[in-house]
Amino acid sequence: MTIQAQPLTQHHDLEDPVHEDDRPRTLVQTMTAPLSAFGQDMYGLWTLLRQTVQAILQGRVDRESTFAQLYSIGNGSVLFITVTMIVLGMILVVQAGMQTQRVLPELSLLGANIIQLLAREFAPTVCAMMLATRVGAGIAAEIGSMVVTDQVDALRMSGAQPVDYLVVPRLIAGVLMTLALSFWSLFIALMAGTFAANTQFDLNISTFVNFSFVNMGDYIVMTLKAIAYGAAIPIVSSQRGLTTFGGSEGVGWATTNAVVHSSIAIILLDLILSVFGYIAFPPV
Amino acid sequence: MPIHFKNLHKAFGPKHVLQGVDIEVRDGECFFVIGASGVGKSVLIKHLVGLLRPDSGDIYLDGEEVSRLEEKALYPVRKKCAMVFQNSTLFDSMSCVENVALPLRMHKGMSMKDALIEGERRLEQVHMHEFCKAFPAELGDGMRKRIAIARALTLDPQYVLFDEPTTGLDPISARRVDKLIQELSKNFGVTSIVVSHDLTSIFTIADRIAMLYQGHVRMLGTQNDFRSTQDPIVQQFVTGEAEGPMEV
Repeated sequence: MTIQAQPLTQHHDLEDPVHEDDRPRTLVQTMTAPLSAFGQDMYGLWTLLRQTVQAILQGRVDRESTFAQLYSIGNGSVLFITVTMIVLGMILVVQAGMQTQRVLPELSLLGANIIQLLAREFAPTVCAMMLATRVGAGIAAEIGSMVVTDQVDALRMSGAQPVDYLVVPRLIAGVLMTLALSFWSLFIALMAGTFAANTQFDLNISTFVNFSFVNMGDYIVMTLKAIAYGAAIPIVSSQRGLTTFGGSEGVGWATTNAVVHSSIAIILLDLILSVFGYIAFPPV
Repeated sequence: MPIHFKNLHKAFGPKHVLQGVDIEVRDGECFFVIGASGVGKSVLIKHLVGLLRPDSGDIYLDGEEVSRLEEKALYPVRKKCAMVFQNSTLFDSMSCVENVALPLRMHKGMSMKDALIEGERRLEQVHMHEFCKAFPAELGDGMRKRIAIARALTLDPQYVLFDEPTTGLDPISARRVDKLIQELSKNFGVTSIVVSHDLTSIFTIADRIAMLYQGHVRMLGTQNDFRSTQDPIVQQFVTGEAEGPMEV
């Protein structure tokens, strides 16, 4: 996550913001500066994740705020995700069908392959990428605005921890709703794909909707991915929001970075969990 | 002295904002910190409640060094030392009474119901009771500021830090805020540190004034000291002249 176009310094310890002069002064510093910035970035994300999980384990969860976030992240994204997955499901089936027909004349296993591909890869990953654009940007903009208008400091003065109030509800809602929306995405893409297969390739519904290639391992990989993505989006976006510096321009950078860095986090997690999935639960 | 900033240094990147600031604030006084924009006035008072940490130097509050306390150890400090922020900083998602009730719930552990009852009482004191259920976005700047002051005073603090309390207010609302700050000192013995550019406020209610310039305390004294000073930089600030020796 080194896409850092802005000149903003970032402070990672929420309890003690530290602004450092990160202008390289020597050749060695110049060469190691990006690595150092990346390391600090990772440490900041890890610290925020640790503090948030600690707060959840200690029961410091604001129910009202969590329900509001569940609604905002979940219900607010349903239509957006549904439309995306309808289009994706249809395109995927048509493209895969056309490619397959170049090699094989029959498509009886097209549905089985598509369902496995959706479960292992496309349903959770595309759903999370869509959520990163909508939810990640919203989280960073909201928290970033609170930071630059001193509302986060006002929270601390009121005896409330910003992590408890701002990050915990978003992490819980992010994980639960990414999980739910991933399964919804699978269902919707499957429905749309079935329609496309039927109209484009004259495939019967019973032939296309074939779960023979999908086993418990696929659902486990899908669930793991959804949980990891659902945690990554709010943590990355909240961290970008909490380290906002420099007024409205800073909020703009925080929002952009939240989307870019959340997307990169999703892709990296996809790589790691896909490799893990293929080793731990080899596909049928 | 209940509050003592001792040789305080703070830098943001290459900008060395505070370069050895020494200020002592007396009990019950209304102490003003003045200076040009970006000179570090807000930065200075944020150090007192641990919202910023100094690069070096010490801060004493009632004899206790507070600049290196951990977040949890700062709770008692923030309980007796409230802060009214420049932009009111009410929480948009909460109604006015919920904003005022928040410190009661967090610092005093009150139930939501009790905190809301106490919050309504506190809003009555600043004549904002009828706006209990309103949200901050529905109110004007002056009203938001009064609610922010009610929130700051809800824990009956010994010390109140005001960050530009009259900025953006009409003259009448500004003088009302001045009067409130003065009453806090005179009637309740509250020690106030006020960061301000407002010359009317400064020369109406300040007991003592410190002017920050280029990271140092340029002058510290009473209203009369500032009126009669021969320091050209202080003179320029006090008279509000556009041309002069002051580098802004």
